[in-house]
Amino acid sequence: MNTTAIRKQMSIHPDVMDLLNNQIAMEMKASASYLAMASWCDQRELLNSKSFFYKQAEEEREHAMKIFVFINDNGGAAVSPNVTHVTNDFESLRGIYEKGLEQEIGVTESIFKIFKAAREKNDYTSEVFLQWFIAEQSEEEDTFRSIIDVFGLMEGMPLKMIDERLPKE
Amino acid sequence: MQIEDTPIYPYQIKQTTFCKYVLTTPNKEINLNFPQVLELRRKLNDLTTFDSLSSIINTDNFVLLFVADRQHLVYLDIPQLLKLQEEVMSFFYSPEMILV
Repeated sequence: MNTTAIRKQMSIHPDVMDLLNNQIAMEMKASASYLAMASWCDQRELLNSKSFFYKQAEEEREHAMKIFVFINDNGGAAVSPNVTHVTNDFESLRGIYEKGLEQEIGVTESIFKIFKAAREKNDYTSEVFLQWFIAEQSEEEDTFRSIIDVFGLMEGMPLKMIDERLPKE
Repeated sequence: MQIEDTPIYPYQIKQTTFCKYVLTTPNKEINLNFPQVLELRRKLNDLTTFDSLSSIINTDNFVLLFVADRQHLVYLDIPQLLKLQEEVMSFFYSPEMILV
């Protein structure tokens, strides 16, 4: 049994904690990025897309908060991140959703990396905690792929009409 | 010709009670609680990345580090910084048990 001084203070591995702190930064960056996308849609009266991205921005922040609280609850030190270099300039609505999918894939890959590290360090607490995120990311990626499919099916239709067929959340 | 001895950087971090730690530096002893040890670890990790070390070397060649919720200010040149980082890292290292 590991009963070192550090283990008595923390239930999670310090290296995994560092990766989780990086993940908080990534989720907050994603949240800020979705907010920029929501603003782009809001300015163009794309009502469903605007609601979708406002909701996504909130969800990403919730994910970050979930990790933040988890680190502190387990004796670690959660770090409030810097969020910089958020793009506010986009080419098209389809481009925004494609960027969103890329972002989600990046987040999923990062979660996999932490999951692997937790497994290697025998950090079972973090491993179990991250299982929820893996299922969640699978759903997120599916949502974006389905939306991009709609763009393929409705190619050539007016943007407003496409937007009306997209989910609000 | 005299050859200088290898310099010694006496940084040590030790647990005194369940949640109290003491960091010994050449000039003073600093009492820390666990969150302060974690914060020190984070700062040292940030300062010892390749980019950060390059930036320090190309500018002042030293860092001033606040420790223990800004109660102490520690001056560190590059070898001292690396030595302290090594000490803190080894403090967090827990060897795996091997059954023989």
